[in-house]
Amino acid sequence: MSEHFKNELVTNLPNIATTPFQKIDKKYFKVISINFFLITLFICIGLFLLQQFFFSESILKYNIYEYIGVILFSFIFYLYFFLAFPKRKYALREKDISYKSGLLFLKTTTVPFSRIQHVETDEKPISRIFKLASLSVFTAGDSSDDLVIKGIKKQEALKIKEFISSKINA
Amino acid sequence: MHNSYTFSEFSKQSPKGIFIIYVAEIYRAIKLFWIFLFILFKDFSKFSSYGVNYIYLGVVLLLLLLFLRAYLIYINFQYKIAHQHFILKKGILKKTLIEIPFYRIQNINFKQNIVQQIIGVFEVSIETAGSKDTEIAIKALSLEKAETLKATITQGQKLVNKVVEEENLEPIVKISFFDLLRVSLTENHLQNLFLFFAVVIGFFNQIQQISDSFGQSEALDDYISESTSNLSESIVLVTILVILLTVIALLSSFVKVVLIHFNLSAYLKDDAFEINQGLLTKKSIVLKKQKIQNVTISTNPLKRLIGISFITFKQAVSGKVNNKKKEKLIRLVGCKKQQIEILKKSVFHELSVEKSVKQNPDSYYKKILFFWTGLFLLICYTVIFYFINHIEVFYSLLVIIPVTTLLLLKKVKKRCYQISEEMLIVGKGLLETHLTYLDIFKVQHIKIKQSIFQKGSNVADLVLQTASGKIEIPCIAYQEAIKIYNHSLYKVETSNAPWM
Repeated sequence: MSEHFKNELVTNLPNIATTPFQKIDKKYFKVISINFFLITLFICIGLFLLQQFFFSESILKYNIYEYIGVILFSFIFYLYFFLAFPKRKYALREKDISYKSGLLFLKTTTVPFSRIQHVETDEKPISRIFKLASLSVFTAGDSSDDLVIKGIKKQEALKIKEFISSKINA
Repeated sequence: MHNSYTFSEFSKQSPKGIFIIYVAEIYRAIKLFWIFLFILFKDFSKFSSYGVNYIYLGVVLLLLLLFLRAYLIYINFQYKIAHQHFILKKGILKKTLIEIPFYRIQNINFKQNIVQQIIGVFEVSIETAGSKDTEIAIKALSLEKAETLKATITQGQKLVNKVVEEENLEPIVKISFFDLLRVSLTENHLQNLFLFFAVVIGFFNQIQQISDSFGQSEALDDYISESTSNLSESIVLVTILVILLTVIALLSSFVKVVLIHFNLSAYLKDDAFEINQGLLTKKSIVLKKQKIQNVTISTNPLKRLIGISFITFKQAVSGKVNNKKKEKLIRLVGCKKQQIEILKKSVFHELSVEKSVKQNPDSYYKKILFFWTGLFLLICYTVIFYFINHIEVFYSLLVIIPVTTLLLLKKVKKRCYQISEEMLIVGKGLLETHLTYLDIFKVQHIKIKQSIFQKGSNVADLVLQTASGKIEIPCIAYQEAIKIYNHSLYKVETSNAPWM
């Protein structure tokens, strides 16, 4: 039993605090920007339609403020995304994969390969334009917040997927 | 062993199964159409005798159709065992063929609801780990056949080496009716009361929606507004209501406990527990020790007074943890101290963790808890004051503030953790006390969370995800959190023991 088991890198305690993390692809910020722009646009169109068909006269006076409100709101969000973007990092080690993110709320997650049920890569339409993909890792149990790394190069994602698959099946 | 059944050919359930399926189908039909039945009965007198005849005819026809359906379900439900697979054919129009390899079968449980008890057949459910749709229930099998089936599969799994003298096994936990009474008296009545009201309110909502759509809402509304105006006038009524609520709470606790845990007995075997319980639906569960993800021992002040606590075993679940999956929580109520000790010792190899130092969260936890509760109260009172505009409203704070402070302090005190090389104990609770025991190597993934405010105080939350839900240790020193993080990963990555 034990001769099959290799234990190379983790012979001494691996430390998450000193592990070098890698930033995700810079192009992914463009994807975020486009998505953001589209959502803001939809909200503005929705607001426009509401004003045209449903709002009464008394509210119509504040028309311009509503638009300013929406745009200011989304600008603050956008700024947050912009500042938080460099915090999205991942690390691949011999026996596990980690991801951290967050500016106001920092989060670090590590999934050991030995607990992974399956790995998935997928490309959303806008990401595909920039040849980016996201990598999701699922473990047993409540898998709603397992590890997802968005915005890495498609080749890279496939490579990591292969790497993990080989580790799971080993 | 019985060799009369080999299961090599496709076989049907016991013929009594037709009846079981029939009853289940009728029950399902009633559950679907009960609201129509309700309306029908309410206005029953309004129908002419001619109309009544039609209704009878319809009911008879429906019953016949359901019987036909039950018969077809029975005829088409066939199973066999072949080369280490359990194979099932079912479906009337849409034919389904399910094959499950033995090694994927997690548990085989016997169950008996009231009808099955009367007729004397058992329901056998085959649980598999993994996808949720592959849970198979064979509705009616004779005891002999059910046991043979189980033996065949477990022998095929080679997990049970030999069936040890099962007959004279002493149960480690056996709860008599009197014990159960004590258990139910010390339940968390508030919780049960809420549960009860949730059910009642849901029920009334449904009725109201229906009667709304029939344009009869005025009568009900009048009734409600009349009773509410009475209520605000008379203190006597309020007192009666309080007494009534107490009675309801006690009764609902009692009913709940008795229904689920009647005649609870647990047996300890080599690698598994066998648990039998239930009044209307008798359940027999075999719980393999290896598959237990974590164990929670809970008690509350009342229970502690009479020296009992309950123990919850959590198994791996797949997909989101929802209400249906609650069945996978296996609970033993009314365990005495020495029984708890035996159970703990049999699940975990060593319990040195209990001797390690109990550590509490950072004082930041207390601060943040008080901050949020304070904010919540502030908002509540602002809203209430906005609507009721009487300064008297604030008198209630004289009670609310000391009570909440006390509760929060209790909550802070109960938050603790103990860690050793192999194991982790996490304590939490408000009125109740829950201690969760976890083998560190069973962790699925691990997360560390830190808000910008926590960073200032140099604390972080640690979340350990297991196959049966997450276990959280909030607001511990950042260095400590990192240490546990690294240690858990080390344990998971170096262990080659199966986590289930």
